[in-house]
Amino acid sequence: MARRITILLLAVLLIAALTTLPFFLKAFHIRVGLSIFLSAGFAVCWWLLAGFTAYYSFGHTAFVGIGAFAAALALRAVPEAAPALQLAWSLGAGLVVAGGIAAIIAWPILRLRGHYFTIAMLAVALVLGEAVAAFPVFGGSTGLALPNLAPMGVRVEAFFYWIALALLAIVMAVAWVISRSRLGYGLAAIREDEDAAQMLGVPTTRFKVVAFVLSGGLIGLIGAVYALNLGYITSDSVFRGSLSLEMIVNSLVGGMGSILGPVIGAAVMTGVTKLVLADLLEYHLAITGVLIVAVVLVAPDGLVGLWRRRRAQSAGR
Amino acid sequence: MTALVQTLVNGLLYGGILSIAAVGFSLIFGVMSVINLTHGIFVIGGAYGALVAWSVLGIDPLLSIPPLMLVAFALGWACQRLVIQPAVERGNPVAALLVTFGFALIAVNLLTVTFSSSVRSISPSYSFINLRLGDISIDLVRLVAFGCGLALIAILGSFLRFSRWGRVIRATALSELGARLCGVDARAVYAMTFAVASAFAAASGVLIGMMLPFTPADEVTWTVYAFIVVTLGGVGSLGGAMLGGLLLGLVSTLTQTYLGAVYTNMVMFLILLFTLLVRPNGILGSAFKASR
Repeated sequence: MARRITILLLAVLLIAALTTLPFFLKAFHIRVGLSIFLSAGFAVCWWLLAGFTAYYSFGHTAFVGIGAFAAALALRAVPEAAPALQLAWSLGAGLVVAGGIAAIIAWPILRLRGHYFTIAMLAVALVLGEAVAAFPVFGGSTGLALPNLAPMGVRVEAFFYWIALALLAIVMAVAWVISRSRLGYGLAAIREDEDAAQMLGVPTTRFKVVAFVLSGGLIGLIGAVYALNLGYITSDSVFRGSLSLEMIVNSLVGGMGSILGPVIGAAVMTGVTKLVLADLLEYHLAITGVLIVAVVLVAPDGLVGLWRRRRAQSAGR
Repeated sequence: MTALVQTLVNGLLYGGILSIAAVGFSLIFGVMSVINLTHGIFVIGGAYGALVAWSVLGIDPLLSIPPLMLVAFALGWACQRLVIQPAVERGNPVAALLVTFGFALIAVNLLTVTFSSSVRSISPSYSFINLRLGDISIDLVRLVAFGCGLALIAILGSFLRFSRWGRVIRATALSELGARLCGVDARAVYAMTFAVASAFAAASGVLIGMMLPFTPADEVTWTVYAFIVVTLGGVGSLGGAMLGGLLLGLVSTLTQTYLGAVYTNMVMFLILLFTLLVRPNGILGSAFKASR
């Protein structure tokens, strides 16, 4: 019990520290923090499905795109409303539309397992991306612009920094609650052996659908913020295959075994990309590739797994 | 009517190329259950190899196929042995997938640095010649590439059917444990499979380079096309890759002609999705382990 209170206290302190950080940082570093929170949020949502059930989606960028375009189109409907209202309205649109589409495709898609689910999600993302690029409602290849919703006197990057931080805290809390719930245990059973779980009375289909819809909807919510921060979206920028890959890579680098894994992975990978590799743009991809290969071969349980192994070793001595 | 026949002919010729470009991917997926994201790298690498051979050494692209296949064979062997096999032995299917992805990132970066990201093409003396058959015109290069593609598939088919290595590869695909109990060195088989698949991917790249302009970034396209072809036709069988490629070629040219070029990819991906949902084993779903 005491340990749990310590952890809670630490979390509150950390959030408070991160909240005050923008007052001391330069705009560039605030933006680095913002991108870390966004990619950590995406990674946690992806992990909500993959970490619990081992259903590895290769197309979660579909939900980023849906959330982004839902927000952009929703804002077109209310051009005159107050900025705070517009913000809530567009984030709500991202969440609801992405969650709704996830609910529609969940049942057929989740009948597939393993590689086939992975490929099918990739196809979903590709189809939606192409469809958005082809139909003029979505701005076609020119895309859609979003209004700047930051209140007067607040720096735009700091504004979105705080929103992204809040959303990251929310999705982590959701993931934590799930991991302690009946749903979480059921999903873990699905990961270990889906057929056995079903025979033991776990409602596998319902649990998988719930995890999928939560994962997709929350990504849509963060996707709406992602779009508002970009200020201008096209099919290419929000239905990007590399977004799906970042979620996967971040989670694996951090470690799939715990909720901290995706967050640490996102912090390390985004930090490395933005700060260290900024001067090595030409070799950026190659270095990312080397990192991925190294992590898979050297630290298969990610950085969190590596740390736990070290700690277990030193405790055993 | 002529327009329709013309479209069908173009579709079949394009489909033949899609088929040969997918057989390597199909072989690796079928035998090793690994989704090989380096596949497109070997395809595009073959195209760049042919470009160098043609523009620097003046070798006809078709003649550069055998030496390039040897190079790709060696590279594929090394890549599998050093990087992919350790990941496969982790037992996590995503580990292998990620390793191939990381490797593809490195390779595409090196290709971009070496050759720049600008569009290249290979045009030997016989390009831009059209054969006429009544009202139908056929691009000579595409016809030649189609023929070479069929020949290569036939060679790979007889290798798998009749050679000792081919038998061992098929046995390992059916049951790794069973093959090992019979004295097969499964790791050597996997290295061999990967090397052969890479060689055929590079060969298809040469043919693609003769027909279409290419950039390093195109590797993603060819990996994804291989994916669709293999899922549509059926994993791990050459017949499946052939059928899937030809069907997809027809669909893609028909869509382009009658609906518009913007819808081509969308229709192709929808077909992939539909196949997965209705018949995930593909049309000629085989008894290879990945499809079970």
